[in-house]
Amino acid sequence: MSATRTFAVTLTIPDNEAFTAYETLGRLGIPAARVVRADIWQFDVDGAGAADDLARTVASIETIHNPNKHRLAERASDRPAPGEVWIAPRDEAPATTVAGRAIHGVRAIRRRTAWRLLDDAGHDVAPADLDRAVETFLCNPAFQVAITA
Amino acid sequence: MSAVVAIVVFPGTNSEDETLRAVRAVGLEVELVHWSQPEKLERFDAFVLPGGFAYEDRIRAGAVAAHDAVMDPVIDAAQAGKFVLGICNGAQILAEAGLVPGTGPLRRPTAAFAPNASGRFESVHVHLRLTVAPERIPILGGIGAGTVIPAWASHGDGRLAAPSDELARIEHDGHLAFVYCDRDGNEVSAPNGSALNCAGLVNRAGNVLAIMPHPERDAWTYQHLDESRDAARGDARAVLAPSGGIALFEHFAQVVRGKVPA
Repeated sequence: MSATRTFAVTLTIPDNEAFTAYETLGRLGIPAARVVRADIWQFDVDGAGAADDLARTVASIETIHNPNKHRLAERASDRPAPGEVWIAPRDEAPATTVAGRAIHGVRAIRRRTAWRLLDDAGHDVAPADLDRAVETFLCNPAFQVAITA
Repeated sequence: MSAVVAIVVFPGTNSEDETLRAVRAVGLEVELVHWSQPEKLERFDAFVLPGGFAYEDRIRAGAVAAHDAVMDPVIDAAQAGKFVLGICNGAQILAEAGLVPGTGPLRRPTAAFAPNASGRFESVHVHLRLTVAPERIPILGGIGAGTVIPAWASHGDGRLAAPSDELARIEHDGHLAFVYCDRDGNEVSAPNGSALNCAGLVNRAGNVLAIMPHPERDAWTYQHLDESRDAARGDARAVLAPSGGIALFEHFAQVVRGKVPA
């Protein structure tokens, strides 16, 4: 039996990449008052009891999570949340190590970038605007795919 | 009137000086134009987008720069038939801007220079072989069929990636300008896992060329990785002589000068 466990890593310091995306989206006329980005790490684990301490292991790998600037949270779902889009490589071959390190009980590792566009009230922008952001900027369909809820 | 070439500098560009030196060495007048000065670009005859990490490669290599206001006049110029050369990060920007291979709408990329198959930054000496007929690539005026040019590949995102139908179009419609080869022109595997072994793409009109490796970093004898460098040792003039990758700029200069009214 296998399962996928999903972790989101966000910055606790200003996210320059999200701000750059915000500025470019503004230039493209896509209405977003704020852009939120997260690194999504997914781990395919073998067996029900395998990788019980995965959260602690992931938190200890600085390539993924540097406690001085990152917040790590495990997600209940292995799919994007409503209003969120994940950008992933199209021809992805899942990794088996991270930073050269294998994780006991983990047989595949995938990384995505999650984006959310928020309006002035902090709500997700209209789905059509998110779609436009994906089509015009956030995703290059030549080698990436956009995954939504 | 001499031809004036603009080297477009983005925040994060790091190869503008050696590119300027190579363009100047082939007799072209050249200026650096920064991203904040798009209005200056109208008076130029040709454009070079040099290597580096524009906007720190945020979001994707070349993606933010492709939407920068300074690219508006570059795209307009390319559409009007002026010559645009992109090297490394410049090539990534041209792909993200949809100028190469140029088979889709502007700023809707149909191909990409994506992360290397190794997942690592690769820095190796390479050779590029022209794979299209010389008349297919007017931006390199006078270049001979099958010309081999030495260069340094130095990138983390140089792997041509595109859907299979687009790769077929690139190959069959003459967009595959250069492939990786050895010094004798025999094709060798790309250091980045590039589809079609691609090292460079050209648009349909042949006035926009995107190459991943850096000929401007192998444009003087002391930069070569062969016996010519050893042979020149002790002879300052020979060591500092333009050679190797400078050939690409010589062909570029030939055609850019030809486009300028006397």
